Amino acid sequence: MSEPGTATGGGAGPNEDLAVHLDGITKRFPGVVANDDVDLRVERGSVHALLGENGAGKTTLMNVLYGLYEPTEGRVLVDGEPRQFDRPRDAIDAGVGMIHQHFMLVDTMTVAENIALGNEPKKWGGLAVDRDRIEREIADLCDRYGFSVDPSATVGELSVGAQQRVEILKALYRGADVLILDEPTAVLTPQEVEDLYGVLEELTEQGKTIIFITHKLGEAMHSADAITVLRDGKSVGTVAPATTTREDLAELMVGREVLLEADSDPVETGGAILSASNVTVENDRGVEVVSGIDLEVRAGEILGIAGVDGNGQSELIEAITGLRTPDEGTVRFDGDDVTDWSRRRRIDGGMAHVPEDRHEQGLVMPFDLVENAVLGSQRSPRFAHGGRIDWAGVRDHAEDVIGTYDVRPPTADADAESFSGGNQQKFVVGRELERDPDLVVATHPTRGVDIGSTEFIHERLLDLRREGKAVLLVSSALDEVQSLSDRLAVIYEGEFVDVTDPDTITEEELGLLMAGERPSETTKSEASDLVEGGDR
Amino acid sequence: MIELPSRPDRRTLLVGLGAITAVWVVLGLVFPDSWAGVLLSIAANPSTHTTMLRLAVPIALAAIGGIFAEKSGVINIGIEGLLIVSAFSAIIVTFWLGSGESTLALSHHWWGFAVGVLVSTLFALLFAVVCIDFKADQIIAGLAVWLIALGLAPFVSRIVFDSPNTAGVGYFQNVTIPVLSEIPLLGYLLFDTPPQVYIMLAAAVAGWYLLNRTAFGRWVVASGENPKALDTAGVDVRRVRYTAVLLSGIFAGLGGAGFALGQLGTFAGGGETAIGGRGFIAIATYLFANYHPIGALLGSFLFAGLEAMQFQLQNLGYAVPTELIRTIPYATVIVVLVFVGKTRLPEAAGEAYDGDED
Repeated sequence: MSEPGTATGGGAGPNEDLAVHLDGITKRFPGVVANDDVDLRVERGSVHALLGENGAGKTTLMNVLYGLYEPTEGRVLVDGEPRQFDRPRDAIDAGVGMIHQHFMLVDTMTVAENIALGNEPKKWGGLAVDRDRIEREIADLCDRYGFSVDPSATVGELSVGAQQRVEILKALYRGADVLILDEPTAVLTPQEVEDLYGVLEELTEQGKTIIFITHKLGEAMHSADAITVLRDGKSVGTVAPATTTREDLAELMVGREVLLEADSDPVETGGAILSASNVTVENDRGVEVVSGIDLEVRAGEILGIAGVDGNGQSELIEAITGLRTPDEGTVRFDGDDVTDWSRRRRIDGGMAHVPEDRHEQGLVMPFDLVENAVLGSQRSPRFAHGGRIDWAGVRDHAEDVIGTYDVRPPTADADAESFSGGNQQKFVVGRELERDPDLVVATHPTRGVDIGSTEFIHERLLDLRREGKAVLLVSSALDEVQSLSDRLAVIYEGEFVDVTDPDTITEEELGLLMAGERPSETTKSEASDLVEGGDR
Repeated sequence: MIELPSRPDRRTLLVGLGAITAVWVVLGLVFPDSWAGVLLSIAANPSTHTTMLRLAVPIALAAIGGIFAEKSGVINIGIEGLLIVSAFSAIIVTFWLGSGESTLALSHHWWGFAVGVLVSTLFALLFAVVCIDFKADQIIAGLAVWLIALGLAPFVSRIVFDSPNTAGVGYFQNVTIPVLSEIPLLGYLLFDTPPQVYIMLAAAVAGWYLLNRTAFGRWVVASGENPKALDTAGVDVRRVRYTAVLLSGIFAGLGGAGFALGQLGTFAGGGETAIGGRGFIAIATYLFANYHPIGALLGSFLFAGLEAMQFQLQNLGYAVPTELIRTIPYATVIVVLVFVGKTRLPEAAGEAYDGDED
């Protein structure tokens, strides 16, 4: 990768080495300024990170570059030439490709068909698609950039990481020299993220220019040659990773000092709020994925569950929250056996649930946030008066959540689907945590959420704990479960491998436990002390 | 999570049908005087086969048209209406041109045929504007197309003929292809038949090719599965959907006009009209065929074959209540849909695409 200088200064003349130069871009929407006089200079052959919180205007800026939006003011220069892109096609023709956060792929079609879509080479005077030529060109691209994909595979059957490579190939097939990646790591496993970094390196070595949008500090520091930080639609500086620290970057991003790790001071724990014994759950295909798990969460305690996705966490949580009936075992909540209770009874009893998939389970996408705010409380006396919903009250509540949890843009009247993923997540978390629950069951509560709001959500979870509530936290972000939890259970193939003290365990030890390695005898006895602390 | 009883798949259905057919054939051969024997002799009768091909025309062509619309993401349940307007306008234009042989070197039947296809295409255009540009609910707009056609055809007919039924205008003549029509078994079926049957056979092959081998066909599929992917790939989703819906109008028009001039010779506008729900059977047919144009052609043979056998039974004077027999195609539709309920609709079918969103 090339060595960029600290490309901060403005006002210089046209620079031959800039692959992309956005000059004073302002983009206004009715009532909102999404980008305010933003300058972005991206050197050819470099990886340039565009860092900012949810709603800082990163995606808007890239949509301007990709021709999806027309800038209200400012110029777009590609290879030093001022360009006007009225639609993505124009940007594609100028060598700019974009890989969206939600992949733009047709699941039922093959890799080759997806890559060539809209650019199909013809034969027989346009009467047929030249499929041999597509496959040949894909093979050439794969050779050059070290990819391996099967052009005849159906896209829907590929892993997310492979689908992302298909998207990258699609852009390269169209002759892209500049690749924009929108939150490319959001959907990838850690291993796939490593692979992606390798791909980016290979691409820049071959002279391609990468712009990637992220809200994760670590990614920007790890893989970018230059980082431009956006805050509230304005560019607040461009820095080189070598000359900055995570703390400085975080402050630049949020505009104030940020605690990167939440502090959890000890709290006196009370009686058991939630206890599960010998819970065994089968998944939809009838395979046993949770095998006899025992757990207990006390008042004033956060129990974390760490594990690689797909080891039974989802089904365990569904059994606890009443979304799935356990095949064996009992779940007790506030002293009652709730194993056969409906969702409604559990909600009324004070069990809040931040589900793992906000689209499928947390929100009704075509509903606005007022309607979404009442979900789960539609029968609670707070909002329902004799079968009629008090919409004015619900609206106030929705606006409270939006304000408190910093949902952007701050409007309750827009449909849930029009918000970015991070803002949808903030809203779901806010709705659930403000239910005044006795127990919060939260799965990936900060997935896709920017650091400022992540800090706030962590604070709220710790507040609840301080108030003597119980929290069951499942997360794939290790630093999150480690810093928040009082006890940390590691799940592997449907069983708890160990229950540990998150303050003393190292990340390496955690990694081994998550891979199914049983703890050695000495650590085991320490752990069993801890289990007894809570499990009896 | 609600557990549905698992559904038998297409293979089970085909094996089951094969077994029933085998039992029937054996019974028919052993007891020629039984019901099985009578039905077998009807099924083996060449005139049943030619009737079947003619009756398949509106079903197969409407189904092929419906495939294009639905694959592009626009569910066109108005194809019943398109069959009605094309059949009616084909008959009335032929009638107006009169009994003369030809005008501008084209016989009056062909003029009627061309206008029938044109009218169907115009109705499809109207439907496309309402669904694609005005983002109306596709099901309601489709029902509207049907209801308008259901009222309009007998209304015009009453003005012109003072009756919901039109006068007769005669039929297309068979086109016999020399040599090929001499082929045993298939010759009389495929090469000595009226023009609309050739059109149907050609349309099934052309439809398959267009959908599966051309770039446009890939765009249609992408438009129905993930229109945004197509949009960001630089292809105008609106244009693809318009073209696909207009194609459904053209195919349905070929079917309706061909059926009217090749089989009916007149148009009965009363009740459910002479089309009598064949457009809806076409929808069941393409779902049964999982959006495969040639599969839809074969599926239409199933429904048309049952109908052809019913005609023969009546000709032979068997006292089967016609009302009962007429329910057979619909009962078959229900049975078939029970078996193939697993047909997966395109992901974005039924949804208007709004390219301006974010």
